[in-house]
Amino acid sequence: MINLLNKELRLSAHLLSFLFLAFSLMALIPGYPILLGAFFICFGLFQTFQNGRETNDVLYSALLPIDKKDVVKARYIFICLIQIIAFILMAGLTALRMVFLANAAPYVNNAMMNSNPVFLAWTLLIFALFNTLFVGPFYKTAYKFGKPFVAFIVASMLVICIAEVFHHLPGLEFLNTLDRLPLQLMLMLFAMAIFVLTTIISCKTAQRNFELLDL
Amino acid sequence: MTHVLVVENLIKTYPAFRLGPVSFKVEAGSIMGFIGRNGAGKTTTLKSILNIAHPNSGTIRYFGQELPGNERAIKQRVGFAGGAADYYPRKKIADIIAVTRNFYDNWDDAAYLKYMDIFSIDPQKTPRELSEGMKVKLNLAIALSHHAKLLILDEPTSGLDPVSREELLEIFSALKERGVAILFSTHITSDLDKCADHITYIRKGELIASDTMESFLSGHRMRGEGSNLEEIMLHYEKEDYHDKFAE
Repeated sequence: MINLLNKELRLSAHLLSFLFLAFSLMALIPGYPILLGAFFICFGLFQTFQNGRETNDVLYSALLPIDKKDVVKARYIFICLIQIIAFILMAGLTALRMVFLANAAPYVNNAMMNSNPVFLAWTLLIFALFNTLFVGPFYKTAYKFGKPFVAFIVASMLVICIAEVFHHLPGLEFLNTLDRLPLQLMLMLFAMAIFVLTTIISCKTAQRNFELLDL
Repeated sequence: MTHVLVVENLIKTYPAFRLGPVSFKVEAGSIMGFIGRNGAGKTTTLKSILNIAHPNSGTIRYFGQELPGNERAIKQRVGFAGGAADYYPRKKIADIIAVTRNFYDNWDDAAYLKYMDIFSIDPQKTPRELSEGMKVKLNLAIALSHHAKLLILDEPTSGLDPVSREELLEIFSALKERGVAILFSTHITSDLDKCADHITYIRKGELIASDTMESFLSGHRMRGEGSNLEEIMLHYEKEDYHDKFAE
């Protein structure tokens, strides 16, 4: 698996998959739908799939002396690696904002979502959507990525809209405040569990589909 | 004679195409020419025996081992090169090799340097900077660097100029003498006249013959079906367009 992960990082990965980690910084932009940062990070990962198709990555991998299902597992590990790095960056920036910029006017007067544990929970849900709606279905063909990516775009935009609306609803204001931190952290842990569970299920399904595939 | 590859009753069905049953054996240190016109099922057969397409039935044994359950070990000893196989065209060859070598237990850096030198391949170049013939040579260098005992080559000479083709055929003959077996699919039959020991011929997915070159040629010669591979293929394949247009 180490060798396959090395291949993912050195041959398969597109540079933008790494560079788009910078969109984690969007967590600090006031007056902006900051969840788009998570979407752009997934868009960077999408470039690796596009690159893979142009470079015959799947065929190269399938001909190596490895178990074919490990090709899929290595890709999921690579994706999760980028997503976890993005999450850690966003979590760090969120902590900075909550501690040092808690009373800064642009955040206090922000009608849009501010970064807090609930924002991180929504981010994990968007990552889970990418893994479930795009990566998994991609391995049904290991070639066609149009429909799965459109499905991810629609679903993630819907989630971003819902997230931005929810904290304006009566009784749900706490989703965008700095109080009720324990509840916010619980929501984040819940999202984390969804992310882990859906990613594992998606990976197992993709492995099964990939093994049945005629390349 | 030791068989490095035995294929028995291989059948692969697609909605619009059926391959097989196809059976043939490749001996160690020999060249098997795998012929048929475009679309006959050569690539489907090769994909099936490499397990990148899934046959409906049939058995495939490499070095006496069944492919299912032994794929990892078998692929350590098999090399593949094809005209269509063009990996990571914008990465430096040295970077591709640095990753690829880790997958093979028997990777031999000395052999790698030797073959890169023999084939005059600059590892600082990218595959897209190589000619088609050089790309095949690169794949051969990789296969030989992990001491592959069987090379599966899908149309390696198609689209090459006569000099590159001649060079490759000379390389194949030299490898054969070193005990490497080669399964070599092509529709350019004149390439095989020069180097093949055995011939397997498929037509529209069906096996026509799998025999030694000598026996294959003499049998057809006796029946007046041609005296070389090209004439034999034309005998089976040529369609009479004069009659078709007249209908």
